[in-house]
Amino acid sequence: MRAHSRRILDMKKALIALVALTVGGGACDFKISDPNSPPSIGPNATAATVNSATLGLLIALREDIPNWVQKSSILGREGYRLDTADPRFISELLQGPLDPSNNAFGGGQWTREYRTIQSGYSILNVIGSAQITDAQKDGVRGFVQTIQALAFLMVLNAHIQDSIPIDVNRSIDQPLGPFVSNDSAYKHVSLKLDSARTHLLAAGAAFVFDPGPGFTGFNTPATFLEVNRALKGRVMAYRASLGALPAGTYTSPTGSWSACTVCWDSVITALSAGQSFMDTTAALDEGAYMAFGTGNQDTPNALSQNPQSAVNLAHPFIRDSAETQSGSALLDKRYLAKVTQRVPPLSLSGHTSNLSWLRYPTPISPIPIIRNEELILLWAEARLGQGNNAEAARFVNFIRRASGGLDSVTNLGAQPAATILNQLLKQRLYSLLYENGHRWIDMRRYGKLGQIIIDVPAKDKVFSSMPVNVFEVNARQ
Amino acid sequence: MVQRLSLVSLGLSFAVGVAAAQQRPITGKVVTATTSEPVAGATVSVMGTPISAITNDRGEFSLAGPGGAVTLSVRAVSYKRRQVTVPADQASVSVSLEPDVFNLEAVVVTGQATGVEQRNLANAVTTVPAEQLNRAPVETIEGALQGKIPGALIQMNSGAPGGGGQINLRGVTTINGGVDPLIVVDGMVIANDAIQSNMDAVTAASAGGNPNPQDNAVNRIADLNPNDIQSVEVLKGASAASIYGAQAANGVIIINTRRGQPGKPRFSVTQRFGTSSAANTLGSRAFRDSAEAVTVFKGDSALAGQLCRGGCPNFDNAGVLFGEHQLSVETDASVTGGNDQTTYFISGLVKKDGGIAPNTGYQKQSIRANLDQLLGSRFKVSVNLSAVHSLAQRGISNNDNTGTSPFLVFPSTPSFVDLRAVNGVYPSNPFTTSNPLQTFAELTNHEDVWRILGTSTARVDAVTTATQRLQFTLTGGLDYFSQRNDILSPADLQYEPQDGQPGTVVLGKGSDLRLNLAGSAIHTYTPASGAFQATTSAGFQYQNKDFNRTNVVGRTIALGLQNVSQAASITSQQSLQPEKNLGLYGQEEVLAANQRLLLTAGVRADRASVNGDPDKYYFYPKAAISYRFLQPLGGLDELKLRAAWGQTGNPPLFGARFILDSTAALGGQVGQLRPFRFGDTAIKPERNTEIEAGFDATFGQFATLGVTVYQKTITDLLLEQNLAPSTGYVSRIFNGGKLRNRGIEAALQVSPVRAQDINWILRSTFFLTRSKVQELPVPAYLTGGFALSLGSYFIQEGASATQIVGTIDAAGTRGVLGDANPNFQTSLSSDLDYKRFSLGFLWDWKQGGDVINLTTLLYDAASNSADWIPAGQARWNAFLGGKTQPYVEDGSYLKLRELTVAYNLPSETASRFGMRTARLSFSGRNLLRFTSYKSLDPEVSNFGNQAIIRNIDVAPFPPSRSFFFSIDLGF
Repeated sequence: MRAHSRRILDMKKALIALVALTVGGGACDFKISDPNSPPSIGPNATAATVNSATLGLLIALREDIPNWVQKSSILGREGYRLDTADPRFISELLQGPLDPSNNAFGGGQWTREYRTIQSGYSILNVIGSAQITDAQKDGVRGFVQTIQALAFLMVLNAHIQDSIPIDVNRSIDQPLGPFVSNDSAYKHVSLKLDSARTHLLAAGAAFVFDPGPGFTGFNTPATFLEVNRALKGRVMAYRASLGALPAGTYTSPTGSWSACTVCWDSVITALSAGQSFMDTTAALDEGAYMAFGTGNQDTPNALSQNPQSAVNLAHPFIRDSAETQSGSALLDKRYLAKVTQRVPPLSLSGHTSNLSWLRYPTPISPIPIIRNEELILLWAEARLGQGNNAEAARFVNFIRRASGGLDSVTNLGAQPAATILNQLLKQRLYSLLYENGHRWIDMRRYGKLGQIIIDVPAKDKVFSSMPVNVFEVNARQ
Repeated sequence: MVQRLSLVSLGLSFAVGVAAAQQRPITGKVVTATTSEPVAGATVSVMGTPISAITNDRGEFSLAGPGGAVTLSVRAVSYKRRQVTVPADQASVSVSLEPDVFNLEAVVVTGQATGVEQRNLANAVTTVPAEQLNRAPVETIEGALQGKIPGALIQMNSGAPGGGGQINLRGVTTINGGVDPLIVVDGMVIANDAIQSNMDAVTAASAGGNPNPQDNAVNRIADLNPNDIQSVEVLKGASAASIYGAQAANGVIIINTRRGQPGKPRFSVTQRFGTSSAANTLGSRAFRDSAEAVTVFKGDSALAGQLCRGGCPNFDNAGVLFGEHQLSVETDASVTGGNDQTTYFISGLVKKDGGIAPNTGYQKQSIRANLDQLLGSRFKVSVNLSAVHSLAQRGISNNDNTGTSPFLVFPSTPSFVDLRAVNGVYPSNPFTTSNPLQTFAELTNHEDVWRILGTSTARVDAVTTATQRLQFTLTGGLDYFSQRNDILSPADLQYEPQDGQPGTVVLGKGSDLRLNLAGSAIHTYTPASGAFQATTSAGFQYQNKDFNRTNVVGRTIALGLQNVSQAASITSQQSLQPEKNLGLYGQEEVLAANQRLLLTAGVRADRASVNGDPDKYYFYPKAAISYRFLQPLGGLDELKLRAAWGQTGNPPLFGARFILDSTAALGGQVGQLRPFRFGDTAIKPERNTEIEAGFDATFGQFATLGVTVYQKTITDLLLEQNLAPSTGYVSRIFNGGKLRNRGIEAALQVSPVRAQDINWILRSTFFLTRSKVQELPVPAYLTGGFALSLGSYFIQEGASATQIVGTIDAAGTRGVLGDANPNFQTSLSSDLDYKRFSLGFLWDWKQGGDVINLTTLLYDAASNSADWIPAGQARWNAFLGGKTQPYVEDGSYLKLRELTVAYNLPSETASRFGMRTARLSFSGRNLLRFTSYKSLDPEVSNFGNQAIIRNIDVAPFPPSRSFFFSIDLGF
């Protein structure tokens, strides 16, 4: 019996050995890398990697821009999306509550902007060791910081009633950066733009990267600096107007904005000749744009549409309050260029329109980041803020004529400041229609959200802010 | 037919050369005890020796036995084993076999290469034999399993032709891991990928609130030909499936294809003709007059008024679109035969199922050859080869953001508009973006799949003595499929110019190559006393996977052109997923106490390239015990008590271990940016621990009842933690948390009448499962769905994993509104043979299980639901008041899954035409359906196969019922 057991044992040993042998022979390298994606930019990056990562920043920001233009236009009643496939463009964006869990709706303008900002830090944290010249490094820093500032401003534009985190250059295992007051956040954006400016001034004649077709004419350190200053002008104008609001206009856990009348001076400084590209003799649409494309892996502009089958529509009041051109029965040139009649009209849940957007006629139509026409209007606004009503009126009338084909408002400069402001806001509406939520932002920063037309009084609301993304809130609980 | 021949008996069947001193010939015949018909393919073996023979098709055998009295053991599929003693002076013997009505002696796979008889099993393993599988014709195998496996929730994702369904075994086993059971065909793990067609290029479904793919993809288990299947064995939980290790957390489905039977060639041919019709479509609101129409369609009040002049007409556009009854044809042929050295089974299938809408349908052609060859006395080789081609034309359905999917278009199309073509020209839909009738008439959506599957198994009996046997098996396998998706959305479709790039063409190519190698050594020891039998097995299983998906979208393509290279703009995607897995296992099974006690213990070790540490082995142990009490009570013949414990794993998804950038282009340059998901370089498989216990009672030939309770605990869940977006990431993957899942299953088989002319078997299954998230190291979070207000799943500690939440008031407060998990599911099937007639049916009843019904919401949002006044209006007003509840609906259903009525021609009549057998039958699938669910069908999943986020209804393809008339001929 014992001998028998040993034989069984031997046989089992042999069996195990045999299996082990087979496995040993068949084993091979299990370390398989992911063939689908590149590693992030790291130390000692090559110029090619720097280029690719810098461009990635624009791509990251671009992901949210069509959504923002569309959503903010609905929140500010520039238009509607009457889409039977998704009633939330009405039930949520016009009636609420805004859903903080969904990036496409109430929870948006947070995730993608911070991804842009963090993609920027991925570069800034390692650019010092990149295999490029010091001037090129400064060029990268200046560009990246400018785009980061723009991303922060987009977050601020969507979220007025809450503060936002700015100290976010941390690894994901570190505690999250705190929310800071809006005062601090605006200051942060402004300082970032100034820091970028310092780097751009040291960046030599050319960038080591190519920011693509949206920056034609602004793709060197010197010319890109003009975009940086234009953004500075916008930020300071927003900051100044918000600081002028009566205390408690918008509920904010961190209190109201402090007054900042000198901010108007900063606008003028930033936009002055030699600083920004503002130029009343240049084309009004000169500026920096977010480019779209139909090429491989590129993104077409989702706002382009066939006006006759479109569901993205302008609000009827855009037509109703448009003025006629000088000596003509035709409506405002800006209206005619951006809106067209849809046959038949669309109607959904009490909202009806027969006006289709044709602001972005093709899938490669770019969306402005900032352009000359806005700068001229910011100049007018800053002069009004400084009390220089006459100059403000002159620039407003310039835009009426040059952009709308309208007559000047006679004696505008002699009118009360409030009248000039309303005229300015109206010109901003038509000049910057369906661009970057300007209507909603403008009415809000001048405390005029209550004047926005409500179509279905019992149900529709005008929101002053989007809620903070729920995942940001949850992660901090 | 159950695969009854275990390796143990296959080993015995090798006529191992024994040079016995005295030899004597023994001949005999094996017949059935009930009808005295010959039993072909029965194994006759001489006890205590390796001598055996197989009966021919006249039931005859002959073998050279040792001198003296011998005991013969006779076994055949579907019959009870019998032992007969042949005295020394007797040279021939006749053996009659009793039928094994409940397949208690069927051998069920319990290890990689070993099996035990059903009556000894320590787990509730369900075996579905061919005759139950093929009661009514089915397109894909999932449908044929519905209602037949207690513990298996099997639901199709939509009614689209060509399959796409989920088999969920024993409830929720993961939150983010893989959800499909491991599919093993003839010993080889095969691919069951679901490759998206990228209809998204047309629908932009993922561009809205939920970026997950919604293309209604088909998982490739669809490629199996149900007619080729001998049996399906289902290892439902970790305690049974442990030996498959890190890939078996969702259970294992072991499919054995049909094998050759020795004898003269026997041909069988089945010819079917049939058709399908929509089981349900949705109507819309009927309008009395133009005044009513104008209030709803304000924007088009002029047109509405004009169309409704003198009263609104009422067109059922959805009914027209899904109102086709195309011809379905299927021809299935097979031949089997061979001798005691060689057996073969060859089959072919040509099938064309017509769809219920224009340009939809499903075609499949397959060929299979299974060959078994004995080489000498100790060596056996089996080769299985099959090639399958299928073409599914699936139209367009599910969610969209472009107004293209029919049940997203019909909600905003009033019933007074006629969308039918006039003189071959489809009118534009004046009320919305597309005319679905035009879309289906012109849109191409082809999914063309070629698949080859080859396995080869070599078995050698290395040592055979009176007490010991050592066998080696080696299985090599190749599984390759190539899926091609062709989508053409011509420029003249009403919706096409909308994106400014009229005409869309998609070319998708997906392939998966799996190379398998598995080897086992099996040692069996039976002491001369016969006190016990110990089976030791050990082996390895290696798999190399090479998955490649490429998809090219062309936009702006002129009418009449279809080649992507003719499009003005091109976007492409490619995903490569190479993977390697290696598993090692060892197992000991001891059958003792006169075959009443079974003890099993085993362990499996796995390493995989998808793990954070690809060199590390993860261990999955198991243990089980069962004991049969004979005649414990009057009327009860046998009571088996059983308990089993085991672990399995669920591997991380490809790429989870990496933190890599994503890329995109801008203006002709490629940029790289942070990914949304932060990978975990230390990611490891989920661990699933299951304990199950139960009993099986046998009441003679009258009934069997099996009841099982189980508890699964899943730890190291592959969780995705939502990060604060200000980190630049949306989520990070990590292992953590704990999920529990408990359930009860019962299977009852009753044979109330068994007589000469009548044979009746009833089978019933019942099961329920309950899950609970026990530990969740991340904040409770929403998953699936589109927004809280539109209904969503909510993973929350202490709650069911499948709870559905929504808003309950105007402030958007979250509340629990339902649960997708059914209260219970039960089925009843019956197979009655009376003289030459047979009648079979299967009812499948799911009680409870809620569905997020966004299709009805879409109709209500447009004030256009058929029941708008007053029910729809009330739902919509509640929704506008912040209540999601009206759109979280009970998804209970009772369906007549299968019905078949057959008549067997008398054999004299058949033989007059040169046939052995002839049978005429009428059969149908999903003929009846009872549900209060308002949308198309409660069996629905907009996101395809999912662990949690099933039961979301967004404009699915409508369900269909099918009817067939069949002629089966045997030659």
